[in-house]
Amino acid sequence: MVVSLIGLALGFLVVVQLRSQAAVARTLASQDNTSVALLINDLNRANNQLIQQAAALSLQETQLRQALTAGGADAQTISKELQTLRAVTGAVPVHGPGLQIRIMGPIMDFELQDLLNSLRAAGGEAFSLNGSRMIGSTPIASRGNTLMIGGHAVSAPLVLLVIGDPEQLEPAADLSASSLQTRVQVDIQRKSEITITEVISARPLIYAQLGR
Amino acid sequence: MTVLASVSLATFLVTGLAATQFRSQPLASSNRLARDEALRQSVNQLEDQNRALKARVQALQAEVKAGEDESARRSSAVQQVKALLDEQKAIAGLTALHGPGLTIVLRDGVDPNDPADRSLGWTIHYQDLQDIVSLLWASGAEAVAVNGQRVVPSTSFHYAGVNILINNANRLTSPYTVTALGDPSTLANGVGDPDQLAELKSRNRIYRLGLSWLRSTRLSVPAYDTTFLVKSAQPLG
Repeated sequence: MVVSLIGLALGFLVVVQLRSQAAVARTLASQDNTSVALLINDLNRANNQLIQQAAALSLQETQLRQALTAGGADAQTISKELQTLRAVTGAVPVHGPGLQIRIMGPIMDFELQDLLNSLRAAGGEAFSLNGSRMIGSTPIASRGNTLMIGGHAVSAPLVLLVIGDPEQLEPAADLSASSLQTRVQVDIQRKSEITITEVISARPLIYAQLGR
Repeated sequence: MTVLASVSLATFLVTGLAATQFRSQPLASSNRLARDEALRQSVNQLEDQNRALKARVQALQAEVKAGEDESARRSSAVQQVKALLDEQKAIAGLTALHGPGLTIVLRDGVDPNDPADRSLGWTIHYQDLQDIVSLLWASGAEAVAVNGQRVVPSTSFHYAGVNILINNANRLTSPYTVTALGDPSTLANGVGDPDQLAELKSRNRIYRLGLSWLRSTRLSVPAYDTTFLVKSAQPLG
């Protein structure tokens, strides 16, 4: 009797709870406190990133100005920015600390997409899967049970390499793995040094033109 | 023993849920009300700070670019590096682009208020946007933006509670517009393929999410609104 009453109350509260979450119009005033707290966390992280970006740009500007004032031009500062962008777009081999994630069975395109998404949000900077470099625009698709990366079939075991701060990456990888692990074995290892030698040649712009 | 354990677990859950429930009630105690208000004020302050920092980053980007342009005028060697840099900027999404393409729109539907339906299928989730963007890349898109935010190599779509965030904690809200540059027919065929976005299309029929797409001969996507910070990945050699 007591158990069923509690069950009833629990069921009711769960319904009300889900309802109240569903009813939010995503305006701040109507959000639950958990959502607001998570948002604060993300805003803090983003603002810290922006402060670091501003500091890096400020340094770059000073260096360029100093060379110009001295009557020359600072090729090194421009080269450095070029190398940074090449790392972002996958145009050059890169190395650094990160994670090696081994997935021992087949997974679907959206599962890989979710994993990459979480790792990017956690500061993942460079990725490769079974020897294929991946950036945000790399097409990922499932053809039946086969996973296609940039048009190439990859099969299990999948070895995903990601470069970034392992402290940040590992909790994100753990969370994604916990949903995959109901079906396939996932093994996550921190690495102090990962090398990704594969590069991506940029898709030529055929339809898009510079400028707004 | 098992019954007792379930009872205490249930009590624990009920208490927890009740607590959460009551926190979101408007008739909270004044302390709770003050705390709720403080939380929301923090968000407003952080979002103001976020906007100011972005403006600062954009101003610095313009100064750096002016310095680079001036340097390139001084030296032909620098000019060559600068040409390569401009090319990488376009690839990375730091340059606004225009051209033909496809626009996809969708929005949160209407809560069916059906006690038997707890699926939340009537709201657009971050996975829906991620799936659309992923399909557009696979269909040959050359550039993509969501609600005016350029999708760049570092972009991730994620949830902070009920909020969908991309690029430096930008909150995306319904209605959603995804703009892709590329061959309009190829992009439309990709999105129109009945095997693609099947779950979203089915929810669109049930909850009226207003999912539609339109080819266009001239669309534009903005540049990424800040810059890239690479801390761990060092170029080899």
